[in-house]
Amino acid sequence: MAGLFSADIENRGLILDPRTKLFVMLTLVIFALGGTGSGFAAVRCGTIVISVLPVVLLVTAKQYRKAAFCGGAYALIKAAEILLAPNVNGVLSSLLGMCCMIFVRLMPGLIMGAYTLSATTVSEFIAAMHRMHIPQQITIPMSVMFRFFPTVLEEISAINTAMKMRDIQIGGKHAGKIIEYRLVPLMVCTVNIGSELSAAALTRGLGTKVRRTNICKIGFHVQDVVVLILTAALYGLWLLGICEVIE
Amino acid sequence: MKGKDLINIGIFSAIYFAILFVVAMLGFIPIFLPLLAVIVPIIGGIPFMLFLTKVRKFGMIWIMSIVMGLLMLLTGMSWPPLAVSVVSGLLAELVYKSGNYQRASKAVLTNGVFSLWVAANYLPLFFAAEAYWASRQNFGQAYIDTVTKLMPTWMCPVMFAVAFVCGILGGLLGKSLMKKHFEKAGIA
Repeated sequence: MAGLFSADIENRGLILDPRTKLFVMLTLVIFALGGTGSGFAAVRCGTIVISVLPVVLLVTAKQYRKAAFCGGAYALIKAAEILLAPNVNGVLSSLLGMCCMIFVRLMPGLIMGAYTLSATTVSEFIAAMHRMHIPQQITIPMSVMFRFFPTVLEEISAINTAMKMRDIQIGGKHAGKIIEYRLVPLMVCTVNIGSELSAAALTRGLGTKVRRTNICKIGFHVQDVVVLILTAALYGLWLLGICEVIE
Repeated sequence: MKGKDLINIGIFSAIYFAILFVVAMLGFIPIFLPLLAVIVPIIGGIPFMLFLTKVRKFGMIWIMSIVMGLLMLLTGMSWPPLAVSVVSGLLAELVYKSGNYQRASKAVLTNGVFSLWVAANYLPLFFAAEAYWASRQNFGQAYIDTVTKLMPTWMCPVMFAVAFVCGILGGLLGKSLMKKHFEKAGIA
């Protein structure tokens, strides 16, 4: 889970355009999480198909373990929702029901997020943002943040280890100091690393007025077209449902 | 706004998001899910208060807020956080601007307003609930009623209020830590 946009460039199977991933993500959010058009049976089936799509995409990206884990978790929740939840009674039923209701809807989006982050490189993402005409004021902070995020996580785990040695941990002798003694060193060292990073970035010309070029090639290929048609079909079904062509 | 400011935004977004990421892992234990609106603004207040000391130009808080919203969209938490963060970020910016980007009391309030986007993560769970149950009528009305009772719609403004209050608490915590550590170390 540690890396954001830390795709392995050499060995990552099928490559999708970042914009395709974004479109699938939006569709999942609208249909799976938002429950749009769930009055029509066809849209409901389509939503289930699209919800499974992120797991398939993880497989195409050769992330088999992640795919198995996410797919298993989703299947478990879905099974619990259909089989278990309506058949148990009392407090347990409502707690279980709430968990199912939250996670059945959230999971597809979260899995898609895991896929997007692990199968895209930072350069690809920035290139896609340029193509979508997102201003520099957003793209520069985003690219710095993706570059810097793994470093921060590394520092967090190092500081955690150090503080565990002094028994500053949950259930430890000094648990009360947990926030201060972890965050303050983190702030101090990351701010220092950050200022070095910003000097390095400035020498590379980040933040100048000129148009930056990007070596990374992005574009729509056959696999993008397939995924896009599949996703767009769901919108099509929904429109047909509204126009009362199908039930 | 110059390149250095934009890079600063990126650095502090990374710190804020890393903390959020660690805390959000708790959210997979269902009981902790509503608690995120409490924990994130309080702990996030510490890096945010440090960030505010670097803010001197209009737009920096706003951009950081938008970046947070975009990240939520990318990680699959839907679009309402982005919609809210665009508005609340601008409000936070205006609040801090009214203190000339210096006043400590305004900075605490700014963290409260900035934290509102955290509560927006819950919005889709509240507002799309009816669509969810509409397609699952076969579960029985009694069952649906008991579950919906756990997440009444009035909880939604409560979540925002909680995020705001905890944001202010986090701001105060951040402020006291700044005085204790960062000013002495010369990085505030």
